[in-house]
Amino acid sequence: MSTPLSLSDLDLPRRNGELVFDAPWQSTVFGLAAAVTDNAFGGDREPFRQQLIKAIAAEPGRPYWESWTAALEALVAALPEQPAP
Amino acid sequence: MSEKGHHPAPLSPVEQRVAALEALLTERGLVPEGFIEEITRRYESEIGPLNGAKVVARAWADPEYKERLLTDGTAAIAELGFGGPEGDHMVVVENTPAVHNVIVCTLCSCYPWPVLGLPPSWYKDPPYRARMVREPRALLAEMGCPLPGEVEIRVWDSSAEVRYLVLPQRPPGTEGMTEAELAGLVTRDSMIGVARL
Repeated sequence: MSTPLSLSDLDLPRRNGELVFDAPWQSTVFGLAAAVTDNAFGGDREPFRQQLIKAIAAEPGRPYWESWTAALEALVAALPEQPAP
Repeated sequence: MSEKGHHPAPLSPVEQRVAALEALLTERGLVPEGFIEEITRRYESEIGPLNGAKVVARAWADPEYKERLLTDGTAAIAELGFGGPEGDHMVVVENTPAVHNVIVCTLCSCYPWPVLGLPPSWYKDPPYRARMVREPRALLAEMGCPLPGEVEIRVWDSSAEVRYLVLPQRPPGTEGMTEAELAGLVTRDSMIGVARL
């Protein structure tokens, strides 16, 4: 049975499970995107995914969760002014 | 944050942006009380590769389940109680002695959350996303998964609505194992396709 090895430029994990968030702001922004998806888009993940694709393409070298943050900012900026009652 | 006296470290720019988003979205009523804590808890402790390992072990142990899994991944995975965001259209691809499958998302980070949890950091990074398409054999070898030249590599780009899961080959010598024991053999990386068992 082979064991996955680490690759310097990919920073591969050695364990089956790893912490998915490195800092509290990352889990917060993950949860915020889920909340907006659920509560402003009826659970449709596609609007956020399209923003994430754009954010990653705009700055491919940017840390992932910062791109995620930029994607959420763009999504929120496009929301209608008033929340649904 | 200064009013909270016990929080002396200044927020970094990205932390400030996230705090602003949280304040705005909370004010607009889009973030129910406790929502973020609950979803974080679920993805940190409940939803992860163990779910996928159970699916794989069931497929190894039960040929009829395996057939259903390969025919309609979403439904077969739901039989074990797994589903939800990023798992609406699951396609399971089977490794054989002649074919090795590996998944990637070239445009962002699409990944089968219900069975693998959230993706590892390297899955989301540009080197993996670009190289797995361009030179999968070389990258797999670097990742500790060298494949014989005669093995065909199929790379599945998750960037459409479909989410893929690799069904690894059952290791030899495991014939007498229970399903639970089999599940213990299955690694996350083998279900992404960057490792063999």
